[in-house]
Order: sequence, then C-alpha cells, then structure tokens
Amino acid sequence: MKTDNPPVPPFCKGGVGGSGAAILLMFLVILSGCAYPKGTVRGGAQARAKKFQIAVFPVENLSGTLSPLKEIRQSAIDRLRAEGFPVLEEGILDKFMARHRVRYTGGIDQGTAKAFKEETGTEAVLITSVELYSDRVPPKIGLMARLVSTGEKPVILWMDGVGLAGDQSPGILGLGLIEDPRELREKAMSPLWGSLMEYLSGGKGEMGIQRVKRKFSPKVAYRSFEIEPGKKYAVAVIPFFNRSDRKNAGEITALHFVKELTRIEAFDVVEPGVVRQGLLNLRVIMEEGVSLANANIIFGILDVDLILSGKVLDYQDYQGPSGVPKVNFSVLLIERENRLIVWSSESYNQGDDGVVLFDWGKVNTAYTMTSQMAQAIGRGIVK
Amino acid sequence: MVKLWRIQLCSIFIVLAGCAGTGNVYRNPNMDFGAIQSIAVLPFSNLTRDNLAADRVRDVFINKLLSTGAVYVLPVGEVAKGIATVDIQNPFFPSPEEIVKLGPIIKAQAVITGVVKEYGEVRSGTTTANLISLSLQMIETQTGKIVWTASTTKGGVSIWDRLFGGGGQPMNDITEKAVNDLINKLFK
Repeated sequence: MKTDNPPVPPFCKGGVGGSGAAILLMFLVILSGCAYPKGTVRGGAQARAKKFQIAVFPVENLSGTLSPLKEIRQSAIDRLRAEGFPVLEEGILDKFMARHRVRYTGGIDQGTAKAFKEETGTEAVLITSVELYSDRVPPKIGLMARLVSTGEKPVILWMDGVGLAGDQSPGILGLGLIEDPRELREKAMSPLWGSLMEYLSGGKGEMGIQRVKRKFSPKVAYRSFEIEPGKKYAVAVIPFFNRSDRKNAGEITALHFVKELTRIEAFDVVEPGVVRQGLLNLRVIMEEGVSLANANIIFGILDVDLILSGKVLDYQDYQGPSGVPKVNFSVLLIERENRLIVWSSESYNQGDDGVVLFDWGKVNTAYTMTSQMAQAIGRGIVK
Repeated sequence: MVKLWRIQLCSIFIVLAGCAGTGNVYRNPNMDFGAIQSIAVLPFSNLTRDNLAADRVRDVFINKLLSTGAVYVLPVGEVAKGIATVDIQNPFFPSPEEIVKLGPIIKAQAVITGVVKEYGEVRSGTTTANLISLSLQMIETQTGKIVWTASTTKGGVSIWDRLFGGGGQPMNDITEKAVNDLINKLFK
C-alpha cells in the first residue's frame, strides 16, 4: 500500500550523521540562544546561583491560636544560613521595621521593598504565614511561605506551602501516627524549606504539585470567552469576604489563590502586601464584595488585568481524632477592559468526599482541600 | 365499539391536559424576557435557623444563572453599593419605587429577590433528611412590577429514607437541584 509521506527536509536526509548532525547541533545552539528568559517572577537559574541577602520577616499568625512562630522563623533562618545565604541580622531588621513603622508582616508594600533594598542591601524577603496549628492529638499544621523581591517593584519569586495532620498516614496498626506536635512541625518545615532551597539553587521549587482530583473542581462555574488562552494576565487577589466561623479565613483563602495562581504561567500575581497597601492608601471599603467603583480604583492603582475576589462561607478544620474539614467559597474574577465578570464559581468540599472504604482518600486539613480547589479554579480559568 | 371507547379516552386526556395549570410559577405574558440582559440578585430573606442559608443559596443561584450564559448577573459588591446608594430600607423586600431607582444606578433591567423558607435537616418519625424550600421573584426595574415568580422544594424524607435510612441527599446537592429547577422555570 502506498502512503503519502511528507517531504523530508534536506538536513534530515540520510539520518543524523555527518553534516546532518552538524546542522542539528547548530540549530540547537541557535534555539538555545532564542530561549525565552524566565523573567523576574521566577528568576533565572544563573541569577539564583548567587547567594544574596534575605530578610526573614516575623511569622504571621492566621491560625487564630497560639503557634510556635519563633521556632518556625528560626528554622527558616537556620536552613538559609546552612545553605550559605546571608540572612539580615536581627538587630538591623528590628531597627529597619521600627524606622519604617512596619507592623504588618504578612506582606511587603512597594515603599518598604524599595527601602529594604536601598538601606539594607537585602535582595529578598521571606514571608511566612501559619494557617493552622493545633497541639491536640493528632496535631495539625498549615504553613505558607513566599520569597518576595525587594526594590522598585516587589515580585513573588517563590511561594509554597504545606498542610499536615498527625493522622494523615496512620499506616498499619497506627504505626504512622504522629502525636508529637514538634515532630509534625519538623515534618512540615523540612520539605517547605527544601522547596525554597531548591528554588534558590536554580530549580523550580514547587513541592507537592499533584494532578488535581476531579472532586475538587468547582461545582458551579461560569467562564467568559473574554479570557484568551495563552495570554498573560496580571492578577490582584483581594482578601475574600469572610462569612465563616474561622478567623482570617478570607486572608487564608486569598493566600491559597496567590500560591496556586503563581504556579500557573498565564498569571503574574501581585504581591498581597502591595494590594493591601493600595487598598489602605485609597481607603477602599468593600461591602460584601468588589463593586465596579472599587474595581476601577484597584485597576488604576495596581495596573492589573484581573481582580480576583470572593466569599468564604465555610473554612473548618476539626480538632481531635474525629471529624472532617469543610470548605465552601465562591470566586469572582473581574477583567479590566469592560469591567465584566469573566469567571464566577462556587466550590465546596468535605474531607470525606469520595471516601468509600477505611478513610482511603480522606483529606485531613482544610489547607490541602483549599489548595486543590484553588488550583482547579486557576487551571479552569486558563484552560 | 372499541373505536368509540378509544375516542372517549383520548378526549378525556385532551380535556385534562387543557385543565393543567402552570403550577407554582407566574410569568407576566406581556413581558419580553429576551430583552433582559443584566440582572441584579438582591440578598435573599432567610426564614431558616441557619444564619448563612440565604447567602449559600444566593451564591449558588448567581453562579448557576451566570453559567447559563443567557443573562449577565451583576457582582454582589456592585449590588450592595447600589442598595446603599438608594438607601433601600429592607433589601429583602424592596418597594417598587426603590427598585425603579436602583435599576439605572446599577444598570440592571431586572432584579431578583428571594426567600429561603427551609434549609437543613427535617425529621419525620425516626428518619431525617435534608430539605430546601425557596421562592424567587423577578421585578422589572423600569416599572417596578413583578414579572416572574416561582418556588421549589427539594429533598425531604423519601420512602427510600424511611425504609433504609441514610439521611437523604447532601445539602449542597439538593440546593443545586432546587436552583436548577427555578432556572428551568425561568427560561421555560
């Protein structure tokens, strides 16, 4: 049977040998020269090979409970120093924060970022937030950390997080149960700082990225055709309107979206500290959600293409050995050009969704669920 | 003889079909629903014990309505700003005058108000199941007149629940079913 083969390019004829191999090599050299730079968001591997000074901010506590903030911060400092990164001295950091009246440690605004670079020579700031901390057996922990560049425009260089429960992997006869909160803390911090080190040594530095399970997809979603696939969008994530019983659930959910959208190439996420400062400077007060007047102001001051906001109705973690976490939120994405909603969705999940036998597949923390739910939305927006 | 019997049966069916009402739906026959392009969904009134029931149902309804692609639903923040600007005393049950004022401010051709009457677990004997009951109405902003109303009830204790237990369907599932039912009634 005769088949119509496509015409073979001249350099491919005769296999990859002799002059063909030379041409192929030449092509590869030219192509590598044309490679698109990764940009400032992720930073090039070469740039990251340099050991630059990092300031470690005091840890922000969003858990609403007493948490070992000093220990978590010290662990980050120790790990950075062990890898040879100079960490801004405690005294200098304290004086800087007092001089500039920096009280909010959950983000960094433009002015502070610029001053950091000019006055201390710090290249990046490590911002860590404790989302969940429970000492009760089985213990639970949820951490999120990000590295933000200093200078004229603070940019999120790296962001990752971890959520663990002591009874997450009990194993046979409960041998895998973790009852000591310190042990769980170490287990959580080790891969988190490992991810940061991987990033700083030129890698991607994103741990725990898994395929999002279908059960975490939004239950109801609207996507407008205004979103063009392949286009890059600058996004500002506004703290969610919190109607749940959990303290800081609005900020926590917004942070999850910042983390998950940062991982998607199509989005340039604005540092939350910059968003917060912008809203404070213009005294933007939002009743129930973002109005178009609010959106106009935010688009103007932050120069973004999209505003992501929403409402949290449930953000529950359980205490003790029995229970299931529960998360319910809605998301709204407004675009700049026509001030229209381009994405709207409703997501809700429980830790035992899809669990049939022996708690297989059970999710033990709201952190893990929200991460997956946010990732599913992020991917749904740009699909 | 058989033929006559068949004709009689057919005519009974036709007569019965003619008597059929539209159930718990009202549609203004003079209203051109196709002209409505943007809708504002006002906060729903909550007659249940769950403080967040109205918010939950409203969120699902807004998303479902948007996802039909038939109409544009205004952001809740914009609606809240409009309510504050017009100074609507009771946003759950606004007066026709207030709606006429609100329409041009938020640029909506119609507003939807609603009442969540039941939301949560109901008990019948030893059996429990989730139940939702809500009613909605659409008001035209040009005249302040009601152009559509509908109500629905989903969930509750079924025969299956009585026989085998199980607690009925999850609350979120029956909320979606109820909202779908109302949207079907709106676009029918």
